[in-house]
Amino acid sequence: MGDVQGLVLHPRILTAVRKAKLHRYAEVLRFSSADLERLTHLSAKDVGHLVREVSEAVRQRIHAATALQLLLGDCPADLKVRFLSLGCPVLDEFLRGGIPCQGLTEISGESSAGKTQFGLQLCLTVQLPEEWGGLDAGAVYICTEDAFPSKRLAQIAQQFPARGLAPLEVTKKIRFSDQIFVEHTADKDQLSKCIQSRLPILLERGVVKLVVIDSIAALFRGEYESRETTRRAKDLQSLGAQLRTVSQKYNVPVVCINQVSAVVGKRRGNGNISSSQKVIPALGLVWSSLVTTRLMVSRTEHTLQCADGSPAVVRSLEVMFSPHLPNTTSYYIVDAQGVKGLR
Amino acid sequence: MSRHIGSYPIPPYLKNKLITAGFSTAEDLEDVKPVELSKELKITPAEALEVLRVVQGDQKDPPSPDEGVKTALDMLQEEREQGGIITFCSALDELLGGGVPLTKITEFCGAPGVGKTQMGMQLAIDVQIPSAFGGLGGEAVYIDTEGSFMVHRLEDMAKAAMEHCRHIATVENNRDQLEAMADFTVEHILSRIHFYRVHDWVELVALINILPEFLQEHSKVRLVVIDSIAFPFRHDFEDLSLRTRLLNGLAQNCIRLADSHKAAVVLVNQMTTKMGHAGDGQAHLVPALGESWGHASTIRVLLFWEAGCRYARLYKSPTREEATVPYQVTVAGVRDVCVPNNMQDQATNISKEDGEGLDDHSQRKRPRIS
Repeated sequence: MGDVQGLVLHPRILTAVRKAKLHRYAEVLRFSSADLERLTHLSAKDVGHLVREVSEAVRQRIHAATALQLLLGDCPADLKVRFLSLGCPVLDEFLRGGIPCQGLTEISGESSAGKTQFGLQLCLTVQLPEEWGGLDAGAVYICTEDAFPSKRLAQIAQQFPARGLAPLEVTKKIRFSDQIFVEHTADKDQLSKCIQSRLPILLERGVVKLVVIDSIAALFRGEYESRETTRRAKDLQSLGAQLRTVSQKYNVPVVCINQVSAVVGKRRGNGNISSSQKVIPALGLVWSSLVTTRLMVSRTEHTLQCADGSPAVVRSLEVMFSPHLPNTTSYYIVDAQGVKGLR
Repeated sequence: MSRHIGSYPIPPYLKNKLITAGFSTAEDLEDVKPVELSKELKITPAEALEVLRVVQGDQKDPPSPDEGVKTALDMLQEEREQGGIITFCSALDELLGGGVPLTKITEFCGAPGVGKTQMGMQLAIDVQIPSAFGGLGGEAVYIDTEGSFMVHRLEDMAKAAMEHCRHIATVENNRDQLEAMADFTVEHILSRIHFYRVHDWVELVALINILPEFLQEHSKVRLVVIDSIAFPFRHDFEDLSLRTRLLNGLAQNCIRLADSHKAAVVLVNQMTTKMGHAGDGQAHLVPALGESWGHASTIRVLLFWEAGCRYARLYKSPTREEATVPYQVTVAGVRDVCVPNNMQDQATNISKEDGEGLDDHSQRKRPRIS
């Protein structure tokens, strides 16, 4: 945050501002002009000048472009629209490129629906060079409910080059399991600490360009009593804001895995779920408002023969809401190699 | 005629002196000379001259009704001429009385995923419809606080809007319209949407402070969208009175902006749960940011889901009746819900079906333009 004293203003104004103990931009902008006049004993004209200069200084750091520049990529790097591949051309096409690098993407579903598989696969694709759909960096995987499934990761990682997402000479060079930073947190204070202090160290250096939290619900479902909904809402609100800040500041995708809750009685709000489905993502409206793209995974009753002969359950991936995707459903299976979309 | 001295822009100590000396209205000062006044009040001749200039000058030429002061009739006529920004959903336009009105603040509130951002993007495109089609031919400022602005989606919608207008122009074979199409391509549309990515309330407040200067340079801007107003103010605000104060200040700046630049300001707001709102102890969904924010916007529209369909309800409006209409979001953008012809619905009476099948699962309706 900037210091008011660094602005090019008349010394008289700067002295008055210093005397009023207004040091930062935010401290000036939080007051109305009338309040500022009272605090600084400056004239309305001087205050107008001060507010304008402070606003202008803040505006300097706001990224702006026309929509055309955004589309063509002719804009500040932070505004460039990038996507992280899911590691499967079918699903990438379905999601119009993959997981967007801005904002929070939520993958929710019942237990054993395949949420974690998505998380793991993203941790691998992020390490691919940009021309092959990755972001050329590692990932942070924050576990809150279970131990990290390292065996499964090793299995997918071993098979990953065989999927042919990138030429072998490219994938050969990457040591996939070595660039995934695993963190176990047991409560939301630890998580918040991790997001605010440890994560930025990795992100700052560009070592990591993906954050996966598996799962967000585990922290918030157990810890609060039923009468503490306000406190829960507040904590969720601030956690969501922290994650969004991380995503914005470093232009990295943040993927949150979420559980579902069964619906009792009449549904309100998002009625865009097919009537056969009786679960909705956990954590309620407060959390939904913080999510940019919400995906829902679930198992279907169908099975399919895999290439190696073993049966695989057909699962569905539904876009519940997203600023750039329609509400549609796609199907996929999980086999030894990971998540694969079905045409 | 007899305006009180206190109401003139004169320094307070001079006012005091005038009043103690017995000059209480402008009439009392009518025939006074500066020299007399300076002796009478024991002030310098320069000050006396200043006072008289302010008071008498005002007397001599009272502001003519043409400048500054408007009658209600003037304003009515102005508003009629201004028109609004149509949404491509005729039912919604009807609900709002001809689209989103200029010089006013319109707020769209709704649960996540109901189409608030889509509405913002659609309006940013529709504000640019050329005047040959009865549109405003304006530009838009889009302030994104949430990171939910997706330019690829905007491109889809711009393409649909362009093809729609081209279709109208070809069918009616109107030369003006066909000419206007040259300036209404996807590239042009996108280049006329000025996008800002804002990260916190400080940046938002600063941007709104500085926006009048930007609008001065870009005089064609007719729409300012803030998507969303709620997000920067909903987390980590311990001091709620500060929040209220900041929001009020923002709202005032928005009104000023809307009024002085003849622009529509569209705010997107989230919803929150309120317990025992109607006295029945049940949880209800209400727009976020609290009671006092409810006064900020002139028009408030609630967007919600019911039984798998999207609805818009006019919640607050100075001119229109409270009503609820259905709408849908298709690949092309915000559109009318198709109703079978035998059904009576307000959505069908104005718009004609559009033959061109741009997207297969929706029959697009012609906007009520031209």
